[in-house]
Amino acid sequence: MRTSGVTDVVVGMSTSDHLCWSFDDFTDFRARAAEFLVDGLVRGQRACYVARGDARELAGHLASSPVLAAALRDGSAEVIPLESRYRSGATVSPNDQVAAYAEATSAALADGFTGLRVAADATALVSSPASLDAFCRYEHLIDRYMTGSPFSAMCAYHRPELADGTVEQLASMHPVSNARGAPFRLHATADGLALVGEIDRASRELLPLALLRAEPPVDRSELRVDATGLRFIDHHGLLALHDCARSHAATLVLRSEKSALARLVSILGLEDVECVR
Amino acid sequence: MTAGFFHECALYDSEDTFLALAVPFVEDGLRAGHPTFVACAEDNTALLRGALGRDDAVTYLPAADQYARPADAIASYREICAKLVSAGATGIHVVGDVPHPGVGAPWDWWARYEAAVNRAYAEFPLHGLCPYDTRTTPDYVLADVASTHPNVAGQGTPNPHYGAPLSAPRPDVLEQAPPLVELVDPTPSAVRGAVLAAIAGVRLDEDSAHDAVYAASEIITNGLTHGVGPVRFRLWADAARVVVATTDHGTGPSDPLVGLMPTEATQTAGLGLWILHRTCNYVSMGRGDDGFTVRVSVGA
Repeated sequence: MRTSGVTDVVVGMSTSDHLCWSFDDFTDFRARAAEFLVDGLVRGQRACYVARGDARELAGHLASSPVLAAALRDGSAEVIPLESRYRSGATVSPNDQVAAYAEATSAALADGFTGLRVAADATALVSSPASLDAFCRYEHLIDRYMTGSPFSAMCAYHRPELADGTVEQLASMHPVSNARGAPFRLHATADGLALVGEIDRASRELLPLALLRAEPPVDRSELRVDATGLRFIDHHGLLALHDCARSHAATLVLRSEKSALARLVSILGLEDVECVR
Repeated sequence: MTAGFFHECALYDSEDTFLALAVPFVEDGLRAGHPTFVACAEDNTALLRGALGRDDAVTYLPAADQYARPADAIASYREICAKLVSAGATGIHVVGDVPHPGVGAPWDWWARYEAAVNRAYAEFPLHGLCPYDTRTTPDYVLADVASTHPNVAGQGTPNPHYGAPLSAPRPDVLEQAPPLVELVDPTPSAVRGAVLAAIAGVRLDEDSAHDAVYAASEIITNGLTHGVGPVRFRLWADAARVVVATTDHGTGPSDPLVGLMPTEATQTAGLGLWILHRTCNYVSMGRGDDGFTVRVSVGA
């Protein structure tokens, strides 16, 4: 079961978890990245640390952890300078990047690991509007890959370097984030999407943007959205979901334990929406 | 009868004066071959049935259903009228008892209904008669009735009071106590959290509890989006009912249809307030001494 929600700790994540971690201070980020990677090693995953700097500097970031220092020596952990991991430069190609991690995950499995775990400082990859857009699309695509593969990742972003609103856009594309993320999170499920958190005025622009970037899968003319983790959604949010389904010529299938969503659908007279429990 | 809504009130103070105004109205409709409806309270329905005799041409609608909520009444009448017109009707007659405090119902949203229907039904060849019993109807309601009906039954001339401003909405009885929650310029998320905590001890079913949270979230969102700050949120509750209110320093929407009809032109204020008008027990909107207040009551 993948984790979803807001957290202030990075340990205890499964081998397919996807965590967004915004930070103000590099010392803090490196300490959390080390914890996340050590936790992956415990679960038998190969550990991979991606950040800005050369290989020697990156190894230095992790030196305070004896476990990681040993893992770096025996090859169960590796450091990769950001520039070489994300080959295509400042704007990633979402599909190429997912393919690269799928390949690395397969290699880890072939080498006897249970999968791959990555902690990455991706700040430099989201510094322009175009690169942010591409990276948000990549974040959902890799999230979809993770739903069926033993790949886990901590995507870290240095808040002071980013424009206002950037972290919110990134956090909304992860099932798990730390505090000061987004009011809701959109993530992949085996057969559609899940929404977690609260959707109100604060998400008026964020939700349509997240839906656009997710390019959600439509299966047998159905867009399946698991809303069981949604504490609140207003009619604007519901209409954004409805618009998204309609733009894909799909029926919106909403899963919720509460009757409130079905009542809202009924009052608004929305067609092509099916509410299930 | 020409196309367009002919909206008139009938003021009566006895059974005889009620019948003297309502019976000719119904007979006019029947004589013209128009679909004719009576949506009156039980006592007035019984009087009309007795006076009209067995007449299958009149359709009786229980007022308790037809006038449960003004937004529902507008949706229902518009649907009835649209069907009849598309089936060829050139005129429609309706006698309807609009509820008010004299019969135990809160008034403000019905005052806005009486104002709004002049536009909401304008496209239909509808002749509507709204009887009010002056023995039970409060004076401020009668003043609003005069402001909202272009015509008064029994008077040959147009109503000179038509178009005057509506009376200010009355506070809810629960507002006599200090509010249980009071927040200034809160986020909608903070309001939802405060409402959830405050209604934990109130006897509300799951849907009603959600309605209270949704209403609170919607009215604070509305105030923050369209109002003039600071926006104040307050909540009162007793054992089985909760009242939430937001007050801002603006003038509120000028369009009387806001909340009563789903305004397709705007995806902003109109739709959210309309949802509350269709789910909650009572919604008042209007200007008072301290600004523009939207108040919503949920529960019994």
